[in-house]
Amino acid sequence: MSSRSRPMQPWLPRVAFLYAALLILLPLAALAYGVAEHLGGTWRALTSGPALDALSRTITLATIALAVHLVLGVMTAWVVVRDDFFGKRALVWLADVPLAMSPITIGLAFFVVFGREGWLYPLFTQLDLKVVFAFPGLVLVTLFVTLPFMIREVVLLLEDLGTSEEEAAATMGASPWQVFVHITLPNILPALTSASALVVARALGEFGAVLVIGGAISGETDTATTFVFHAIEERQLPAAYGMSMVLVALSVAAFATFSALRRKVRS
Amino acid sequence: MRFVLALPLLRVAAMVDFRVRSQPPIAAWIFGIVGVALLSSASGCRSKDGSGASTLVLAAYTTPREVMGNAIIPAFVSSWRESTGTTIAVQESYQASGAQARAVAEGFEADVVALSLTPDVNRLVDAGLVRETWDDGKDRGVITQSLVVIAVRPGNPRNIRDWADLARDDIEVLTPNVRTSGGAMWNVAAIYGAAMRGHAGTAKDDPAAAEALLASILARVKVMDKGARESIVNFENGVGDAAITYENEVIVAQQQGRPVEYVIPSSTVRIDAPAAVVHRYAESHGTTAMAEAFVAHLSAPDSQKAFAEYGFRPVDPTVKAREFPPARDVFTVDDIGGWKKLQEEVFAARALYDRALAKGRPE
Amino acid sequence: MSPRKARIALRTGVVAWMVILVVVPISGLVLRALASGPAAFWGYVVDPVALAALRLTFGTAALAATINAVGGTLIAWVLVRGKHPALSALVDIPFAVPTLVTGVVLVALFGPQAWLGQVLIAVDTPIVFARPGIVLAMLFISLPLVVRTVEPVLSELDPAEEDAAETLGASRWQVFRHVLWPAMLPAVAAAWVQTFARCIAEFGSIAALSGNIPRETLVASVYILGELEAGHADAAAAISVVLLVLSLGLQPAASALVERRYARV
Repeated sequence: MSSRSRPMQPWLPRVAFLYAALLILLPLAALAYGVAEHLGGTWRALTSGPALDALSRTITLATIALAVHLVLGVMTAWVVVRDDFFGKRALVWLADVPLAMSPITIGLAFFVVFGREGWLYPLFTQLDLKVVFAFPGLVLVTLFVTLPFMIREVVLLLEDLGTSEEEAAATMGASPWQVFVHITLPNILPALTSASALVVARALGEFGAVLVIGGAISGETDTATTFVFHAIEERQLPAAYGMSMVLVALSVAAFATFSALRRKVRS
Repeated sequence: MRFVLALPLLRVAAMVDFRVRSQPPIAAWIFGIVGVALLSSASGCRSKDGSGASTLVLAAYTTPREVMGNAIIPAFVSSWRESTGTTIAVQESYQASGAQARAVAEGFEADVVALSLTPDVNRLVDAGLVRETWDDGKDRGVITQSLVVIAVRPGNPRNIRDWADLARDDIEVLTPNVRTSGGAMWNVAAIYGAAMRGHAGTAKDDPAAAEALLASILARVKVMDKGARESIVNFENGVGDAAITYENEVIVAQQQGRPVEYVIPSSTVRIDAPAAVVHRYAESHGTTAMAEAFVAHLSAPDSQKAFAEYGFRPVDPTVKAREFPPARDVFTVDDIGGWKKLQEEVFAARALYDRALAKGRPE
Repeated sequence: MSPRKARIALRTGVVAWMVILVVVPISGLVLRALASGPAAFWGYVVDPVALAALRLTFGTAALAATINAVGGTLIAWVLVRGKHPALSALVDIPFAVPTLVTGVVLVALFGPQAWLGQVLIAVDTPIVFARPGIVLAMLFISLPLVVRTVEPVLSELDPAEEDAAETLGASRWQVFRHVLWPAMLPAVAAAWVQTFARCIAEFGSIAALSGNIPRETLVASVYILGELEAGHADAAAAISVVLLVLSLGLQPAASALVERRYARV
């Protein structure tokens, strides 16, 4: 049941390409042009302290998000599909909530809870842990916006795979943990790779939520995206375009890497 | 780069068979990622510059970023190093003044604030963060002065001279949003004050006429940015025919080679921008001495000279680094009743500004 | 640990994780919105500027969803019925571009300084700092969403049905209208709903190019940020809750649309 190449009206592909080219390629070309136009100071701008600081913070956030969701996301998906208890469907519904929220709203929600008037504020002050206007707040919102991807992909795949292999292994004497590691995990690799690319791309590009929760303080809560935002305000176009290009390149690299991983896994 | 974005609504009905046996690489891969994440989060949680007594946090409005970053802060860091032997780090945040004040009040633990107008600092006094005595000094806490001016294109092709010109049908104006931007409030104060003083083609002391003038100008506004800096950058990028802004913003833009000029209206307000120590936070960080030294440093002749170089009018009358064009009628906020009166009559909800905005831009 | 205990521990851990990460912030948001009572909540929502922002947001999102429903479906069809790896890669690009960068680039492309922008100003149809720019940004970010939502369903369409219809003498248009369109419709509708929900939440790309004039070019997300920065967190939370409830309410609708499609098969 796959699509067959079937002759279609010749104008269809042309119109489709035109639409995509105008809508997507044109802005992308403008970005490349902007980078080229301001290439002079770009290297210097991107290797400056604040730029490297912001970029490393963003990469750190993306890595943390990926690591956390690889573990907890898979766990959640497994519980949703293979376990049975009252209200488990609510978990999937909850996992989808971040997709329905504006980044500003996400930042606001965490701000309301962890800010000075928030009900978790006294607890975290006791622990001497700053959340708003600090790195932990950035981590929380990044985890939140990247939550749905891993869970959804793994849930879909697990549901489709069925339990036959796992049951077979169990009857042959494998422990639940062995079943998971040797059967389940390899089988869900395609979902893991697809979702990982999405998680990383989303985390790299997050702007509104980190702006609200972190305040974009240079040296403390400045991310690559807020760095671009500041650079525009400071009329530092080489820095703005350069960092934008770096972000796009990193996202594309993430997609390519995980795609390649996925292909290797399938072979 | 082709991959399937699986959504819960859609079941991918046909899955290609891809069962593979290759555990060790997976495990290594996952643990590798987790390990890297843990390592990097450990370094990320610890503030890059080492938080605590050797870091000073500055919360400022959008305009002084260049002078602070390029001149004032480096000078302070080196003078502090000379006098105490410690090298400190300074974290800077530049945001629209109102938004910045709100952030500090809600938990952004800045040691020093440099804002656009006194009411924003007083907001922090009300929040118990800044001492009431912050403006007891001879300059009342003010560190720079400037004027509200009208930025125009080189050569002033639209021949914009004064406030009334901004109400012309063929003009598009930029001014920021008063709810977040201190600069926007100064702009409105300038227009209101000029009208009330009878210099804008209106009768003296006639609030209705002032409201009408403001309404006619607001009707011409093209973009309402969050802050003064965003506004002038938009103007430089070709938006609008005139931008109401700080004189020093235009000067900095000119220094960076931007094609803009400015016109001083017949009557305009003098912008007094204050700075203060946020004692509550500074005390909890152990940076009180440093913060107080920094605020004092802002009024020192060297800093005042730096401010003047970047287009501000220094508070210190002995400092003169550049020639400023003269202005005819320059008044202060006190001359038109003071901030308290302005906030009640102009900026409060449904007061003069809101009415003017609604009148100027009916739905 | 016995399997049963491990299972319960796992279950508890997962539930705790979701509660901490999702339930706590959302309930905090809702509580904050209602902090001054339902009357105040309502007051925030019916504020003229807020209503105008919501209206603008819904209008532009609906328009963008409609345009992309057509364009995206077209692209998906071409991808499914042919081999176009370049087109496929192109479609995925918006996922890789941070929304802020999208806004910056659109301003660079269509703003007053660009020759394209000057042409547009000359013919009196400015794009940036005007409503068309908002729609354009929404189109850019949501195209992959539409294409990837519709694509799997299109790939399942059996060309045999089309062949049968053609041998019976149907024209291409009739084949489309009576065979293809009914089969695609639920997926396209689902894509429309998804896109709409995504676009009403968009911030980064729109903030850079929309002008933010209250009642004219101010969208909901920028309005919320403005309220927050002005110190009105309650009002910000109230409008956020309105958007959130709408988005969450739309998801079951989209699901239902797809369920119907599978019921037919």
